[in-house]
Amino acid sequence: MKKFAERHSFIWPILGSLILWGLIGLVSGRIGMNQLYTCAKLATFAALLGLAQMIVVTSGDGAIDLSQVYTLTLSAYISCTLMSVDFATGMVAAVAIGALCGLANGWVNVYFRVPAMITTLAVGYIVFSIVLISAPYMKPLPNAALVAFINKNFGGISMLTVVTVVAAVLLALLLYKTKYGKQLHAVGQNKLAARYAGVSVNRVVMVAFTLAGAISGFAGVLCGAFIGGAFQDMGSTYFLPSIAATFVGGTVASGGRSSVLGVCFGALMMSLMSTFLNAANLAPGLQRLIQGAFLVLILVASVSNDSKS
Amino acid sequence: MLREEGRQLYMELKNIDKSFGVTQALRRVDMRIYSGEVIGLVGPNGAGKSTLIKVIAGVFPPTAGEICVRGEAARGYSVKDAQEIGISCAYQDLSLCANLAVYENFAMLTMPHGLLSAPGWRSRKKREAKDLLERYFPGNGIDVMKSVNTLSLAERQIVEICKALMTEGLKILVLDEPTSALSTDRAKQLRDVVRHVSANGVAVIYISHKLDEIRQVSDRIVLMRNGEVAGERAPNETTADELVKLLGGEVKERCARSIARQGSRERIVEIDGLYTNHLRDIRLHADKGEILGISGLAGSGQAELLSEIFDAGNRRGNRKALRIKTLRVYGSVSYVSGDRAKEGVFRLWSILDNILIASLDQVKSGVFLSREKSETLARRWYDKLKFKAENLYSPIVSLSGGNQQKALIARGIACGADLILLNDPTAGVDIETKQEIYALLQEAKSEGKTVILYSTEDAEMEICDRVYVMRDGAMTGQLEGEEITVPNIVQASFRDVEEKPRDGSQRSRLFGLLASRMLLPIATLLFMIGANAWLNPKILSYASVRMLVGTAVPLVFASLGQMFVVAAGDIDMGNGYSIGLVNVLVGVVLTQSPLMGIVSLLVFVLAYVLMGALIHIRRIPAIVVTLGAQFLWLGMALVISPTPGGSCPAWLSALYRWGPFSIPMPVVLCVLAGAACHCVLYRSKYGMILRGIGSNPEAVERSGWSYLAAKMTNYGLAALMVVLAGTTFTAVCLGADANAAASYCMMSIATVILGGCEMAGGIVEPIGVAAGGIAMSLITTLLIFMKIGSNYQTAVMGLILISVLVVKLFLNQKRGVRA
Repeated sequence: MKKFAERHSFIWPILGSLILWGLIGLVSGRIGMNQLYTCAKLATFAALLGLAQMIVVTSGDGAIDLSQVYTLTLSAYISCTLMSVDFATGMVAAVAIGALCGLANGWVNVYFRVPAMITTLAVGYIVFSIVLISAPYMKPLPNAALVAFINKNFGGISMLTVVTVVAAVLLALLLYKTKYGKQLHAVGQNKLAARYAGVSVNRVVMVAFTLAGAISGFAGVLCGAFIGGAFQDMGSTYFLPSIAATFVGGTVASGGRSSVLGVCFGALMMSLMSTFLNAANLAPGLQRLIQGAFLVLILVASVSNDSKS
Repeated sequence: MLREEGRQLYMELKNIDKSFGVTQALRRVDMRIYSGEVIGLVGPNGAGKSTLIKVIAGVFPPTAGEICVRGEAARGYSVKDAQEIGISCAYQDLSLCANLAVYENFAMLTMPHGLLSAPGWRSRKKREAKDLLERYFPGNGIDVMKSVNTLSLAERQIVEICKALMTEGLKILVLDEPTSALSTDRAKQLRDVVRHVSANGVAVIYISHKLDEIRQVSDRIVLMRNGEVAGERAPNETTADELVKLLGGEVKERCARSIARQGSRERIVEIDGLYTNHLRDIRLHADKGEILGISGLAGSGQAELLSEIFDAGNRRGNRKALRIKTLRVYGSVSYVSGDRAKEGVFRLWSILDNILIASLDQVKSGVFLSREKSETLARRWYDKLKFKAENLYSPIVSLSGGNQQKALIARGIACGADLILLNDPTAGVDIETKQEIYALLQEAKSEGKTVILYSTEDAEMEICDRVYVMRDGAMTGQLEGEEITVPNIVQASFRDVEEKPRDGSQRSRLFGLLASRMLLPIATLLFMIGANAWLNPKILSYASVRMLVGTAVPLVFASLGQMFVVAAGDIDMGNGYSIGLVNVLVGVVLTQSPLMGIVSLLVFVLAYVLMGALIHIRRIPAIVVTLGAQFLWLGMALVISPTPGGSCPAWLSALYRWGPFSIPMPVVLCVLAGAACHCVLYRSKYGMILRGIGSNPEAVERSGWSYLAAKMTNYGLAALMVVLAGTTFTAVCLGADANAAASYCMMSIATVILGGCEMAGGIVEPIGVAAGGIAMSLITTLLIFMKIGSNYQTAVMGLILISVLVVKLFLNQKRGVRA
């Protein structure tokens, strides 16, 4: 059992989700699938950003992408603006802009040998400025057709959840069933060994950043439609839950191991937790404190276990 | 035996055995070390010299046998014991803190650990360091103020040797290849040093591959071979040739000589006249269907040569056009490393994945990898190599070294490359596995593939068709067929080549100024002041300066706090919210109850210190912990003050507005902050420890200081700066808001980089950071004056950050900083 848990780290967020679901039931006095569906819907953006983060972290060397939330904001604006002209153009442009931000991250990181954290910080600054500068000229309201689409639901399950699951499945196929996925995990474990095994390390890392940027951009499209429009600070709410989802889900901080399933449930768990803390009627400050303390505990427990192995 | 009379037996090794798993590195070694003698230790690769030294230095406990010090058996002999009895080693891998000045590296060893020391200790230590270097290596021209990473390799070696010589109560000095980077004059000076210290009763163990040097310097020469002491000679009774013969040893029985080369002689590698940093005039060719050996003393450039060939085969790397002309590879290349942990094994993976990573194209069906194909291919190799493992899916780390190596060789061959490069593939592998590996290579050969094998084990060369021998980055011999014998290889290995040209160029004074870390931030600051004043001359008035610098003060403190964490090689991603928490503690708690406020601030500092300890003890990346901690700080701040509010204590705003000697208080604060941090890091004794752990914590610990304590101190000082940042922030915004300071995190990182610090740790510049902090906040003002929306501010910040890093990359290349 212990071995199983070590190999399949995703069982922890699943367990956590179940416990929190139970606790919500206990506090609010009713328990049902609806709460679960709602939380899953709210977890969409943390899940997508968490998955994107997971790809970057998996590329190794302690890489982390701090520009995500800004990329998300920029893409949300672009999608809102261009979708008023043409739906497909808006969608493609928003995702492409996200990918471009990621490519910039990867390019600076690889060719100027600037640590990923600082690169993404700087690129994040620039992206945020672009948002600030161009926001007055852009249309903040989402496309009505898209809003209608994502608000559909199937017996309680939101379209957003369906979209997230589809994205996660595609990503899982890429990461665990293709040559690129194998190479990414190899690069994350040991760059030198990967080089000597004939992997083009630089290309793999750049693709990882680009892919992460594209996913963040896609999350921006959905987010803009879901919250009824783009605004400058829309990304900041998702920073904590997405980082938490990444690491709670079993992504190894030093790279080389990822878990799509784990990150998805990690995001669900964070969403259930904030619902629980809300339901328990705690002050907002206390809610933050508990979330923070919980996050640190999880990180300390999970990260040090991996470095020991 | 020799020169025993009148000398005191200092240390005796009796019947020492040392084995690592299946490999026996030392076998029944006896050695007596007398005071005042010089023992020359020679032996071919893998003879056990380094292992023996590490046993003497207490790094490796012997598997069997006894170590006696002054006639008494030492039990549980450790590094600490070795240090106490005065054993000091100058290793090849340097034990210096590269970011510290030369004299600081010396001072670290001799300074008492008390908190304070008499003023003027720095100039005293500088003089001492200069005297020390001058005494042993006259005319060395090393500037003791310079940091070690700006020295040439030869200069570093001199410093390293002098550091070893400084050990208090030195009794046994171990020099491991001390002249590998030294020029002839310096090597001669070293011989004088050795003579001098031995005349004072210190025993010296001198390891070198340069046999003439050994004969000149030693009182007796101890030969080692295959982990045993193979004999002892008096230097005047022997010749270099005789030593070579002794080292070569009896010719072992030949491994099955391979079938003569078959088929056509199609070229696969051609090198004519390759020069790189490590290689000189390499000429070599390899044909299809042969096993080519590369031999010679370890570290003569063999690994670099293989790496060049690999890169050429993969057509990558920043290869100069010249190299493409001189180094040609026709076909695909794979690489098998013997340094499994560092460049071979993927630790998180199973045997299957480890074998298949280089052959993914073979196991694809369509876009996806096929599980069946993967398993078939991996299974074929798994069965063929008879792995000792549970199954194909066992984690690779559960295997023994030999079995891990099998997986790597399978990886190298399975991918179907035409040329297989092997870098010492049998290091630490048992005999049975070795035989299997040889058989595999023969099989690859018979399939028409080419194998280039570099091995530190000379006997292994006998499976090769041809062997090149290298020394000091150049070729010293080529052996073919029957000529390939251990004695011939040893002979060629010790053949001298002309001295490598040593670098020692002096750099101009102008360049020194350009390279100063303070230049960039101070120039930026002056530019910002100039540009602001040009657009709006009024800003030079007292009130404007107070206002402008006043808003910069919190950033200066925040950046200095970040700097202390960076000094330890970490990063604080949570200081934006920790400043917010202090802001709330000052603006809400301290205004209501001074006592509670002070206590809470102390608890806050303690929390930071504990965070540092947690990062160190549990070895968690600082970025992850501090990211997590930021939510704790925010949570606490929100609990205390759920909505913006509070006020600034009256005494604080009065203090902030006060202007002693008609200088605005904020300016005073910035100057004081920069100067105080400079004093802590560069003037105080403990400052060099605080910086040292960011570069080489092992060296710091070896000098007797605690890594943990230093790290906790760094975090403590960072917390102090955060407290000051939060307090001045309260004075600036006259209230408390948990979220308002969030942007300081990113800004402080940008400032630290602009200020001249290195994120890798150890290299910090407090004055630069203080100047950079003011410059950063003046950018905003400048943009306002230029009528550019404040929206551009973050973009400018990002661009500055990237351009500073690019400039630094360029400067570091110019500076020739070695990692």
